[in-house]
Amino acid sequence: MVRSQRWRVRVGAILATTAALVLTGCADQGSAPPPPVPGQADTSGYDQVIAGSPVADAAAIPAGSWADTIKQRGRLIRGGTDQGALFSLKDPATGKVTGFDAGLAAMLAHYITGKTDADAVELVATTVDTRETLIQNKTVDAVFATYTITEPRAQKVAFAGPYYESGTSIMVKKDNTAINSVNDLAGRNVATEANSTAVLALQQFAPQANVLLFQDDASCVAALQQGRADAYVLDEAILLSDASTNPVFKLVGQPFTKEPYGIGLPLDDPAAKQFVNDWLQKIYADGSWAKLWKETVGTVVSGDAPTPPTLGSVAGS
Amino acid sequence: MRVVTDNLGFLLGGLLVTLELTVLGFVGALLLGTVLAVFRVSPIAPLRWVGAVYVEVLRNMPLLTLLILVVFGLPDVGLTFSLFTSAAACMAAFAAAFVCEAVRGGINTVPVGQAEAARSLGFTFTQSLRYVILPPAFRTMVQPLVNIFIGVVLGSSLASAVGVSELTNRTQVLNLQSAEAVGLFLVSGAIYLVIALLGGAAGGALERRVSGGRLR
Repeated sequence: MVRSQRWRVRVGAILATTAALVLTGCADQGSAPPPPVPGQADTSGYDQVIAGSPVADAAAIPAGSWADTIKQRGRLIRGGTDQGALFSLKDPATGKVTGFDAGLAAMLAHYITGKTDADAVELVATTVDTRETLIQNKTVDAVFATYTITEPRAQKVAFAGPYYESGTSIMVKKDNTAINSVNDLAGRNVATEANSTAVLALQQFAPQANVLLFQDDASCVAALQQGRADAYVLDEAILLSDASTNPVFKLVGQPFTKEPYGIGLPLDDPAAKQFVNDWLQKIYADGSWAKLWKETVGTVVSGDAPTPPTLGSVAGS
Repeated sequence: MRVVTDNLGFLLGGLLVTLELTVLGFVGALLLGTVLAVFRVSPIAPLRWVGAVYVEVLRNMPLLTLLILVVFGLPDVGLTFSLFTSAAACMAAFAAAFVCEAVRGGINTVPVGQAEAARSLGFTFTQSLRYVILPPAFRTMVQPLVNIFIGVVLGSSLASAVGVSELTNRTQVLNLQSAEAVGLFLVSGAIYLVIALLGGAAGGALERRVSGGRLR
């Protein structure tokens, strides 16, 4: 008995040591700088932009309409992520989700319900694999999730917008001089996020590249840092954000695609799309859109806010 | 389902990677797991400890955690293996803990009197394992090993999270092109089902053969 107890203590000690080693391993992982968390900084400017955005007239929301359902419920059910740097990222300390997509959802909720508190938007986690389905079965009212408008998707859901025009760019280590444009990616190991349209851009523009798909931005950054990947290809704003916190990286060349982002809505409710497009037109016109850009994407991209894209200017919108 | 027929070669390539991961992972687990089980029943205490610690650490950690630690953790200490090698090694290392326990469980079903009898006849430890204990023990191991095989087949889908271009990973890519998530995942789910069913059928056949008609 005594022997077996001692044995157990010893195993416990070994397990504890292993756990400690594993944990330190994780801590080492953290040597890659964490992505910037807008929520950790002062978000008062961001909050003011949302509070200053327009509110719909009662006449704009007919009884029984898509917007009326949201108004009666008192909150907008938004499909999206809470792990997207710059666009929709949760601050683990406060639980608040901020970013360009999150801010637009908050503005739309404010427009419909008049509320700006945290309860005005309920976030339902969606992934690329579930977005269309969750819109179709009305689990969510709308999807704000760096959702690139494509024609196959537009056969399943309606897209309001485009509300943002992004582009796929290339990031490499600073000492890499071999990769200067998308044409240099052939035969290279190229990391990207499994759930991004950058995968499609690579198939089209660099079919000879050996594409490595990882689940999130942090994994792609680690793969690039550790040399598993020669380049990391993704939305330019997200790469700029990575490069701004990690000085061993640089972006090369100009974005090689145009990615129009849209707001995913039910296909069988054209009035909902019209309503959201009307709202987008209002926030374009009164400057709320540009102010939100300045508070989010504008923190890593220099210069003034771009001109918002023209509504309906893309096939599928 | 045009997207499936148009990209059949791409999907089958992913299936091949899944099968490679499964075979390497399972065979590796059988070899390592059997060695560990021998450790755990051996008369040498330090070997028993090594076996026990290995099993308790690997069995009680999510496979995804292990994959991430190996793929993104080891390069930080200067050990970089290809994504496929890392994933196959993780699958083998992970499943070995379960194989070890299945083999040890099988060994324990053989009455201790048989081992004592073998020893009293002058068999060495290895001889008594090889000729007296393992043959009857193997019968009771077949079904647990089939379960582990199925675990390896399904667990291989986690390799998609660390960039291995296997079936699940390629299904995700096709969904990006086509926005046909439900249909595509039904197809890949059916493929996993077929692999697991075939594994189960092979296990059943093997069990009938080794049990010599004594199967209940």
